[in-house]
Amino acid sequence: MKIYTGGGDRGKTGLFSGERVAKSHLQVEAYGDVDELNSTIGSLAAVLPTKGADIGEQLRLIQSDLLHIGAWLATTPTAQPTALLEEFAADRVGFLENTIDRMEENLHPLSGFILPGGHVSSAAAHVSRTVCRRAERRVVALMEQLGSEQLPESWQQVLRYLNRLSDYLFVLARYCNHLTGVDEPLWKS
Amino acid sequence: MKQQIYTCELQQSTRLSAGTFELALSRPRDFTFQPGQRIRLLDRYRERDYSLVNAPADSSLRLCIRRVPAGSFTASLHAAATGSRFQFSGPHGYFVFRSTSRPAVFVATGTGIAPFASMARAKTRGFTLLHGVKSPDDLYYADLFHATAGTYVPCISGKASTAARWFHGRVTGYVEKELPPGTYDFYLCGRTEMIRDVTWLIDEHFPDSNVYSEIFF
Ligand SMILES: Cc1cc2nc3c(=O)[nH]c(=O)nc-3n(C[C@H](O)[C@H](O)[C@H](O)COP(=O)(O)OP(=O)(O)OC[C@H]3O[C@@H](n4cnc5c(N)ncnc54)[C@H](O)[C@@H]3O)c2cc1C
Repeated sequence: MKIYTGGGDRGKTGLFSGERVAKSHLQVEAYGDVDELNSTIGSLAAVLPTKGADIGEQLRLIQSDLLHIGAWLATTPTAQPTALLEEFAADRVGFLENTIDRMEENLHPLSGFILPGGHVSSAAAHVSRTVCRRAERRVVALMEQLGSEQLPESWQQVLRYLNRLSDYLFVLARYCNHLTGVDEPLWKS
Repeated sequence: MKQQIYTCELQQSTRLSAGTFELALSRPRDFTFQPGQRIRLLDRYRERDYSLVNAPADSSLRLCIRRVPAGSFTASLHAAATGSRFQFSGPHGYFVFRSTSRPAVFVATGTGIAPFASMARAKTRGFTLLHGVKSPDDLYYADLFHATAGTYVPCISGKASTAARWFHGRVTGYVEKELPPGTYDFYLCGRTEMIRDVTWLIDEHFPDSNVYSEIFF
């Protein structure tokens, strides 16, 4: 299937809800950040330790969630096409929380700040975490611009999900060091 | 998400024009779709997408297919005998009509008319339709659109008699020179080049319009 038309060659793009907007539009920035986050998670998945088979499956689910989130962000909330979108449900946040809790059972409590790094998979998880925080900030800015009282429930869930995903990626970074026996780099102030 | 695979049977193949035919397929009982959506026909090696031209309530599924010269899949579809079985997944896509206060302008080239036929059969009315084809022979579904469109504009790009009821030229020419200024909901379906060119014209001449597109090839 052909994926390009060239319709965007002059600096505008089409939202899922049909509006033509500048590629610098906040909405495009927001789903662009989520897209970037998704790509970094793809590179994280490619360097997972072999012991982390179940993490690979989790990351695939998260990548699907991020595509779903991208569709919501590419749709102006008051536009009719929101009816075509599947609800982004609260159980997705629940899924992240469960996996965070399970990983944490294996980790020592934090005694200070850690420096992002260690095993290559841990370092990659930290990159994803920081991209995730940026995506979250952009979504907050967008929601402020759109007037968050009027937004569908799915948007609120998207925001909760991105917040929890950063936490998941932080814990995952630690867990990857744990699995590979690499010491966590600690901040010596 | 796993797509459900359906099986259907070829009920009838009908000639629409020298290069185009319509297939009627039996409709699996539990298959539903929205006008404008498409199905993906599957065989062992290949898969190809086709927009449905029937209304959701109709008893058969219908496809409007251009027989592509040297096209491998369309050659087998064209040769298929009544009773042949096909598998498909679907419905796919989001190219569905969204009723708003803005007037709708449908722009199609060739078989890109298919999703609009389904919408018209499902009682969408009042739209302007531009159908770009090389020859008047390819104005399939003209009767349907004469009866349902607010304005139906066949755009003939090849040499044709000078009948006044057609626009002589490409759909882009009509959008640029004839379409009254306004804010519209544009629905574009067909060739990539048409979708690109019309999108640029919309950005230039009809800012604040909405644009939805479905690329066939
Ligand atoms: C979303 C979507 C919806 C589609 N809906 C339809 C439809 O309703 N009716 C339909 O006929 N086709 C439709 N197509 C195209 C269809 O999926 C196949 O690509 C087409 O039938 C050619 O298959 P083939 O194996 O015979 O040709 P291939 O050997 O794959 O050759 C492909 C080439 O054929 C040409 N071509 C493809 N489709 C067309 C066409 N419709 N008219 C003229 N030239 C074409 C292009 O040059 C393309 O590069 C759709 C495609 C997409 C992506």
